[in-house]
Amino acid sequence: MATEDARYRQTSQFQLWSFSPTQLSSMREKTNAAARTRIAERLSSLPALANNTSAPTSSANTPDPDGTSTPALPAFLSAPEEAQLVTFFTSELLRAGDHAEMTDEIKATAAAFFRRFYVTNSIMTYPPQEMLIVALFFGCKAEGSFVSITDFVKTFGRENPEEILAGEFLLCQGLRFAIDVKHPFRALRGALMELASHPNVDRARLGAAETRAREILRFSPLITDAYFHYTPSQIMMAALSLADRGLAEQLITQTFHHVAAPTDSGADTPAASGTDGPAKEPAPRSDDKAQIIGSVARDKVLGTIEACRDMLGRELPERREHWTNRAVIKAQITPLRKKLNKCRDPERWNLVELQRARREQAAKKSDSEDGDPDDRDDSKANNKNSNNNNASDAAVFGDALPRDPKRRRVLGEGAGQKGKGLDDPFGGPL
Amino acid sequence: MSRKPASALPVISTEDMCPVCKTIRYLNKDMEFLINPECYHSMCSNCVNRLFNDGPNQCPYARCHRTLRRRGFRSAFFGDLSVEREVDIRRRVAAVFNQAEDDFETLRDFNNYLQMVEDLTFDLVSGGDAQRRAAEATLQQWEAEHKADIERNRRAGKEADEQSRRRLAAERDAARQRRVEALREAEEEKLERVRSREAELDSLAQGQTGAGGGAQRVQLKRRGHAAANRAVEAAVNTAAAAADVGRLSIRGLKEKKKAPPPEGPYDPFGGVDFVPSRYKVHEGLTHPAIDKYKGDPGHITGGYSFDEYTTRAMFEAFAGLGVFIEDEKEAGIGLSAGEVATISAGMAAVGDRMEVD
Repeated sequence: MATEDARYRQTSQFQLWSFSPTQLSSMREKTNAAARTRIAERLSSLPALANNTSAPTSSANTPDPDGTSTPALPAFLSAPEEAQLVTFFTSELLRAGDHAEMTDEIKATAAAFFRRFYVTNSIMTYPPQEMLIVALFFGCKAEGSFVSITDFVKTFGRENPEEILAGEFLLCQGLRFAIDVKHPFRALRGALMELASHPNVDRARLGAAETRAREILRFSPLITDAYFHYTPSQIMMAALSLADRGLAEQLITQTFHHVAAPTDSGADTPAASGTDGPAKEPAPRSDDKAQIIGSVARDKVLGTIEACRDMLGRELPERREHWTNRAVIKAQITPLRKKLNKCRDPERWNLVELQRARREQAAKKSDSEDGDPDDRDDSKANNKNSNNNNASDAAVFGDALPRDPKRRRVLGEGAGQKGKGLDDPFGGPL
Repeated sequence: MSRKPASALPVISTEDMCPVCKTIRYLNKDMEFLINPECYHSMCSNCVNRLFNDGPNQCPYARCHRTLRRRGFRSAFFGDLSVEREVDIRRRVAAVFNQAEDDFETLRDFNNYLQMVEDLTFDLVSGGDAQRRAAEATLQQWEAEHKADIERNRRAGKEADEQSRRRLAAERDAARQRRVEALREAEEEKLERVRSREAELDSLAQGQTGAGGGAQRVQLKRRGHAAANRAVEAAVNTAAAAADVGRLSIRGLKEKKKAPPPEGPYDPFGGVDFVPSRYKVHEGLTHPAIDKYKGDPGHITGGYSFDEYTTRAMFEAFAGLGVFIEDEKEAGIGLSAGEVATISAGMAAVGDRMEVD
């Protein structure tokens, strides 16, 4: 196993926030279903509101296949519709980031936060327009650029800082406190450095490829699910390949240069690529070597990059206009937003109110138990829950990370496999 | 007090009559009773001499078939012989089970050990026949198995006793010294006073009025000097005593504690290998975007190494290239989607209780 991959597997991005496409869609379905049942309960428990909303929409409701059992309830968004709305609001978020003149990393982090949050929370539950501002604010903090909340509020023409602060902890919970997002921007620099060190590479070509690839990275992976399905280096390679296919392939073939048998090498690589193999030290075990940088691994990586390239290719930077095009919005987004306005969660939609209510509830819980019977029932239920509450609170962080024990015998390993381990127990520089 | 008014003869208590030869103290003023720890039957010293002078013999008590030797006889310390016997047993057990608290990892272990020893002692002292035999066997077995330990502990205990004895002696010595010193000083003071008085009288007799104050002053000065001398001496003495005590009290060392097995050097990275396997960081890797910072004092003054940036960029370019999320997540590396979905459903369904913080 390649050491770089082993290190990447330690990240929270891999451990908590990487999914296969089927997993991701099933999670979205689940979130959607949970939100539906809960909002249905809430709406039916608010008689006045339910009548108000149901009266005008009941006619539109009945033919809707997505509508839940009772005609009194509004039509809910389906999971794909939710995903489309999330994508739309992600583009809004990127626009907002541009407006506030934030760096690429902040925008990308905020976009990743936003999309991650709406994997486990439905867009019908929490207001996306508020949450995208919250994600931007928190993204600034996560990337180490600390803006004052008053300035931030002014930038976005809001009046009350509370609106942003109320959603902050909520967002953190939704992210399961994994606030380190790995981006492909620096990886692109690394790839370009490596390419520039090769002989016979046109600098102008490199520069053009980098500009284009960066432009792609700024938009395409953020607005798609690429961050869930691919690693940053794969995303970077895909973007590079979209910008300049030849360069990306050159880099890949030179990285995976290990030639196990002459029959493999003749397939599709120019023979020259194998010769200048970037001065690797002779492999102690060629099996391992073949696994890490052999042609089989190369083909697999190329396949993955190709898939990622397809995904990014669907949302090239030119599509920015698509998401701001009035006609498109009117045709696709506005109906969804209208629908959303009717089926949103009455209790959760106002974040400030929600936070206030929760604080009151918490204060009430800590108070003595006197109160009307309803409250007591409530607190009883809470108490009942609170037993397994601890367990589920911890579960927010996911299971214990499968870390190796913090110690290893450097002597044994170093002597056995690599002489380097013995010289420097901390390995090479980061 | 054990006299019965009904009987004509005074009842002679066992303390005054040898149960073997029926001699009474009235006839033999310096009669001494001896016992043998084999059976704790008491008899007078005459009987012991008479019966055991010629070598081992049976106990003269009825139905006691123990063979006793003269050497084993001694006078009892306690009047009640059962107490005498218990003390003997306790002494013997304590000689064998002589671990100190320092030998145990926790106080609880030590207490358990004490409890065990006490149980065993109780069996020996007042247990039935079988219990006594079992306890005896345990004791002997322990003694045989832990001979070295017992010996070491015994010596340590002895040493500790010796030390405390020496310390006490030293303290006593010092106290005596102080007393003597104080006496001597009082004596000197008195002498001094007499002398100064005489000097004063002399000076008065010779009519030199001015010299009196001078003598007084000298006197005071000398007294202060003596006091200062004393203080210095005392300080030296106490320092020496403290050093002595410090040297003597190095006994809590747990030399017996087994050293933990060596664990090898500490690895702060938990076994993560930092040697890249897919790429190599060449000399002279650079990028136009960082070139402009290479002459920037803001970056170079602090000692920023541009190699760090290069290494990091290279690492990020190649890390995870061979991680195929679709395959690995389906195979369940890291947190599986099922778990995440459960969590998410939980969060969605019962959002209230998690967010009340």
